[in-house]
This record gives sequence, structure tokens and C-alpha cells, in this order.
Amino acid sequence: MKHFLRVVTQFFLFLYCKLLWRVLKFVVRKFTGRCELQRICYNNKHGARRTLKIESSLKYSKNELLQTALSVHSDKVEKAIDDIMALKKINPDTNPQLGISLQASLLQIVGYRSLVAEVEKLRKEPYDCENPEHEDMLVKLWKELRPDTPLTGRISKQWCEIGFQGSDPKTDFRGMGLLGLHNLLYFAEHDKATALQMLHDSLQPKHNEITNPEWEQKNLDKAIGFSFAIVGINITDLAYSLLVSGALKTHLYNVAPEMPSLLHFQQTFCYLMQEFHRFWNEEDPCDIMEFNRVRSKFHRRILRQLKNPDMALCPHFSASDLHLINL
Amino acid sequence: MGEPQKGLLSVIEKLKGSSEQEVRIVLLGLDNAGKTTLLKSLASEDVNTITPTQGFNIKSVASHGMKLNVWDIGGQRKIRPFWKKYLENTDLLIYVIDSADKKRFEETGLELSELIDEENLKGVPVLVFANKQDLATASPASEIAEGLNLHTYRDREWQIQACSAVSGEGVQDGMNWICNNIVNKKK
Repeated sequence: MKHFLRVVTQFFLFLYCKLLWRVLKFVVRKFTGRCELQRICYNNKHGARRTLKIESSLKYSKNELLQTALSVHSDKVEKAIDDIMALKKINPDTNPQLGISLQASLLQIVGYRSLVAEVEKLRKEPYDCENPEHEDMLVKLWKELRPDTPLTGRISKQWCEIGFQGSDPKTDFRGMGLLGLHNLLYFAEHDKATALQMLHDSLQPKHNEITNPEWEQKNLDKAIGFSFAIVGINITDLAYSLLVSGALKTHLYNVAPEMPSLLHFQQTFCYLMQEFHRFWNEEDPCDIMEFNRVRSKFHRRILRQLKNPDMALCPHFSASDLHLINL
Repeated sequence: MGEPQKGLLSVIEKLKGSSEQEVRIVLLGLDNAGKTTLLKSLASEDVNTITPTQGFNIKSVASHGMKLNVWDIGGQRKIRPFWKKYLENTDLLIYVIDSADKKRFEETGLELSELIDEENLKGVPVLVFANKQDLATASPASEIAEGLNLHTYRDREWQIQACSAVSGEGVQDGMNWICNNIVNKKK
């Protein structure tokens, strides 16, 4: 009985809050002469601050047109905005900026969704030795990371030098599929200096351990560094889970003026690799066995940073730069 | 009441009432054998986004004042020297083999025989999972058992179990064997 009463009270409280919210919205609308979407655009600067609010406003709207706007195809965004403006009885001639702002935000929202689908498709595509495109990418990765050492064969112990587990990297891509390879190659090609530095550091045994005769005796010194390629695949998983959970919205809405693309995702990956490398050195773990502890600490830190609506994970693509370029 | 528990919960359920407070299971095997997939499937977690293990993963289940810890340690050659550090106080060893990776049967056999000789694993029961039976090229468990000379193990309980960590087939049979053998040893 007590439980029943509590449920009933909660239900009425919920109805009351909902009603109060609607009344509040109605009053504010009458008072300011602007609808919620207008108020969001006027009161928030573009980027994640604005787009996140627009997204949740549309999501929780009781109007079907507004709800379905979230899942329109990117080609239909312009039409969707016209419909919303008509529905809200906003005159586009007296509010020219509003349509542009809403359209930019909606493009970001639907772009994020299609990016999730694109990334998911790459992740689900397993590495295939019979596919010459896959093989070419893998060999290219080797050439980028080891420009002076030719590969002796497709199956070779040499792959361990760049941090794969064994003589055939194909089994290492696992749950990340081609996404892992695409990311590693992008990092090696476009952020080459960092990638080579990270690879170099990953192969260095720690100094304090080298001087320890016990370690030398057991010949464990080689096991101290981390495995570059495997860490890359692991960080791909981190980037992927940030994207799928929606945590990356903050960053992507701040850096992509319109639709976020695969390129943005790969740049985020480069940023995460750089930062992880720095974080690993700061944490100064004894050995590779601490990897998952360091990784979860790093993950928590990134999540915390992304809670800040002004956060952008690529400093050279900050929101202020985009402001100059796009609006 | 209800359905019988599966995975790690089934083990802890069975241990209920034994004097033990903490049980330690270690999962070992070569890289790409399927250790992490097995661990995740035992914990009823998603197995689609697994990446190679750097270091180790651990899953703990606590129930009825008891704690079950399962350690999944990376199988990459350069991590194998660390295996020994995790063997102390182990109650049971699960050794995972990729049944379709015939080229490395010899390597995995050598690693297992080295483990068996470890002082910390003396008399510890061993469950060998002949994993990846869902693949067409997988060898049958009996053939793998023969290759590993399991029948020569006289100083401990052992079992080989064909399974597919991806589909879950055979995994619970292995868990049932674990339940019986940990309990027997503890009593």
C-alpha cells in the first residue's frame, strides 16, 4: 500500500512538472514573442552550446514534425527548416539569421548520426587478406612507419616492430575491423612526426628498469614498452565508444561548422593518440600490465573534459577559428 | 527458483556455503585464442567490439559474501613472461586454444606445458577450452587433447571442452565442470 501511494505521488508529481513546464514555455513565448528554438539561437553562441539544446528541444517536442526533423536526410534539412519556420509562424524575412542558424545546427545533428553509421560500417568490415585494397593499406602503414626498412614478407615477424602481436596483423584488428586500420594509417600519414615519436617511445624500455640487474637477467626489458599498433586499435575503440555514446557531440558540434565527417573522427583519433601518449608518460606506469588502468583513467578524463560545452579536442580546429571562417 | 544461473554467476552460486571467501581463476592462452571474448561472454557483456588485450582484464563477481575474480591476461609473446606473476593462489586455470590455428598448436602446447610445471600451479585443476568450434576449419577437441598430451597429466584434474565463445556453445558445460572441480578441491 505504501509502495502504491508512492508510485501515485510520483505520477502526479511528474504530471505536475510536465504541466508546469508547458505553462512556463507558453508564458515565456507570449512574453518574449519568441518560440523555444528562437530563444536557444539568440541566447547561445553557435557550436555545442546551441546545437545540443536544439537537439534536446526537438527530441522532447510533442510535435511530430519537430521530432522527425532529427532523422531527416541531410539533403532534406533545408526543407525541414522551412517547415519548422512555417509551423512556428516565424517570418524568414524579418529573422534571416535564424533560418541559417537552425539549419547549421540541424545539419550537425543529422551529420553526427550519419557519421555514427559510417564509422559503424567500417568497424563491422573485417580485415580481409583477399582484398587488395586492405592489403595495400596495411603495407602502406608499414612504409609510413618504417620508411627505411623493407618488409621481408607479408607474413613476417617484423610486424611486431610496429606493435602488432604476431607475424600476421590481420587477427589484431578484431572488433574494430577496418576502422582500426584506417585510423592508424591516417595517423601515420597526417600526423607523421607524432606517430613516429610515439612508435619510438613505445619501443624504449624504461631507464630505471634497465639498471635493475634482475630485469636484465630475466630479459624482460623488451616487455616494458607498449605495442604501438595494438594501442592504436585500443584507442580506436575508445574513440568509437565516445562517438556512439554521444559524448563526442560536444567536440564535433564545436569543430564541424556543418556535417561532421569521417575526417573529423580521424582527427579526433590523432588527438587522442597524442594525449594518450602524453598521459602514459605522465602516469609513468611500471609496465604494460598497467595499460588498462591507465586507459580507464584517461577515458574518464576525456569524458570529464567533454562535459564542458566549449570543449574541442583538436586545438587547431577551435570553435573561435570556425567563427571567423563560417559565420 | 527461476532459471539456473549462467556464466560466472553459476560458479559463485555453486560455491555458496563453502568455507572459501575468494576464488581466483586465471585465463591464459596465445594471442587471438579468444580469452577476452570468453571472459565477456561469461559476464554477459557485448563481444562485438573486442580489441587485443594490452596487459590484462579482470572481472569480479561478488555474491553471498564470496568473491570470484577472473583474470584474463594478454597472450602476446612479449606479455607472456608476465603470466607467472599472476599465478599465485590460483584456484583454477582456464587455458584457451584457437582450434582453427593449426600452425600454432605446437607453440600453444609448449606454453601450456611450461605453465603446468609452475610451482604456483601445482595440483591446480586445468580446463582447456578448444575454442572457435564455429569455424569450419576447427580441429575437434579430441585431436587437440591428444596433441597436448593431456592424458599424461596425473597430478591434477583436467578437462577439455569444445566451445565457441562467440556463440556461447559449450561454454556453460565448461563452467559446470569448474563448479564441480573447485568445490571438490575446496572441501
